[in-house]
Amino acid sequence: MEALRVNNLYKNFGGVQAAHNISFSVAAGERLAIIGPNGAGKTTLFNLLNGQLSPSAGQVLFFGKDITHKTVFQRTHLGLARSFQITNLFLELTVLKNVLLALHGVERSRFQVFRPITFYDQHLDKAKDLLDLIDLWNKKDDRVQSISYGEQRKLEIALCLASKPKLILMDEPSNGLTNVESAEIACRIRDLGREVTVILVAHDMDLVFEVAERILVLHNGRIIAQGMPEEIQSDPRVREIYMGSNDMIVECLN
Amino acid sequence: MSVNYGETNILHRRQWILRIVPCSAVAIILLVLPAFLPFYLQNIMSKVIIFALFAMSLDIVMGYTGLISLGHAAFFGVGGYAAAILIKKCGITSFWIICPLAILITAASAAILGIIALRVSGIYFLLVTLALSLLLQNIANKWYSMTRGTDGILGIPSPDLGLSSLFSWSSTGLYYFILVIFVICSFLIFRIVNSPFGNALQGIRENEHRMEVLGYNTWLYKYLALIIGGSFAGVAGILFAHYNGIIAPFHLGITTSTLAMLMCIIGGLGTVWGPIIGSFIIILVEYFSSILVPERWPLVLGAVFVISVMTLRGGIAQQLLRLREKLFYGSIKG
Repeated sequence: MEALRVNNLYKNFGGVQAAHNISFSVAAGERLAIIGPNGAGKTTLFNLLNGQLSPSAGQVLFFGKDITHKTVFQRTHLGLARSFQITNLFLELTVLKNVLLALHGVERSRFQVFRPITFYDQHLDKAKDLLDLIDLWNKKDDRVQSISYGEQRKLEIALCLASKPKLILMDEPSNGLTNVESAEIACRIRDLGREVTVILVAHDMDLVFEVAERILVLHNGRIIAQGMPEEIQSDPRVREIYMGSNDMIVECLN
Repeated sequence: MSVNYGETNILHRRQWILRIVPCSAVAIILLVLPAFLPFYLQNIMSKVIIFALFAMSLDIVMGYTGLISLGHAAFFGVGGYAAAILIKKCGITSFWIICPLAILITAASAAILGIIALRVSGIYFLLVTLALSLLLQNIANKWYSMTRGTDGILGIPSPDLGLSSLFSWSSTGLYYFILVIFVICSFLIFRIVNSPFGNALQGIRENEHRMEVLGYNTWLYKYLALIIGGSFAGVAGILFAHYNGIIAPFHLGITTSTLAMLMCIIGGLGTVWGPIIGSFIIILVEYFSSILVPERWPLVLGAVFVISVMTLRGGIAQQLLRLREKLFYGSIKG
């Protein structure tokens, strides 16, 4: 079963082709990593997939359903979740409220205007499970602003999981973390069940090789290579791109 | 080690006690207050309560949803005018008919103005709401046959509850009547802002884009917040029309809007009871300064505003919350 299929996707910003004839598919349960040097169009591709940008041309199918013209929140209801490269949370609200908002977002109860949010025991239980998973339950009443950066990154992933996703788009989940923290994130991603498909964008090659089963290489808005991690490692075109830039990845690929 | 569920429940229970105690204290004070006040101060207290409701309704829009509106008085005025016109032009006297009708009219106008105003955001939203309220003020000024122009509609009677044969309105009676409506409305507002819907509004205030990604149709939420806030402002307007006996075009305009905005800012945005404190302070300062320094009372009001913004970051309510946290939570959390 295909979780996601992208057909001939184009996105132009003025004269810049941020996505040029991109086609690929992801099987349900698969872990796909998208890599490429800075400015390759990875985040743009994510924005096209989750509906923040609409493509200039092309088609996006989600479990066989055409979602090219669906809004961001409609895609979330279908089961497409996304985490962000730069921490994108509700800084003034408490940790618990952040998770509760994510839990209610995909249920009818999000329109409930009269029942206090603390009366939903089921949701509180689920929030506890999620926060226990990332060891943040003891900080549930703290404002997100006051928890550490690493904790915010983990909360970011918890919010994704709270919207009951079938497919998660993870944009640089280990961005700015220490090696230890980044390894922990990798563990969390590997621990996810196979009912969840993961597409990962990362510069952190340790994370990519730890998690990914297949890698897709983007350069200047085009897919230049895709295949198993070992194939990508030895692909001359990929090496050339990274050699041409000063990217850290050069070392990792060697 | 993480806190287990048992302790959390205690925490929640304590939170409820901490909430209920101040609430009931305020309720008791408001209930027995008229007995100690001369009638003119009872009237001022009625005004405090009406404006507290008005400021709370603005707080839903501004404090919770983060939509900074300079046109909120439009809904206050529409509510007041609707009640006045229904009484004076249509000859309907019963409060039980006037009130729901006027609320409906306000909600409908909020629904129409909301569609226009929510096409833009940020500073443009502020300007569009201002323009729309000025537009309504102009209509009230020019549509003489309906609104009596700049004179406003005079001689609006006290609410007719169908009990008029039993008692006539005193200022104490009117105070209690307004208080009852206020308590009902603030209970409703309290439930709304603490519901999943109300929390979604806060999420939109904090990070609208992330809310979309979490599955919320943020436009719809903002639109509903405007309609709900507008409707409560309409209720305040209806009460004001009955209380004041006069409704005039400037009640729709920017002076009235900014008054409510000041109350919210001084009292504390994003809290239910902040606007109540704000209203209390502003109306009392306005009243006493207009007696003591009749020609310079706006100056006094301005000084109060500047001082409170500089010294009470986040408003009085936030300061009190912080104090409460220090007093009660320090020991529990530590």
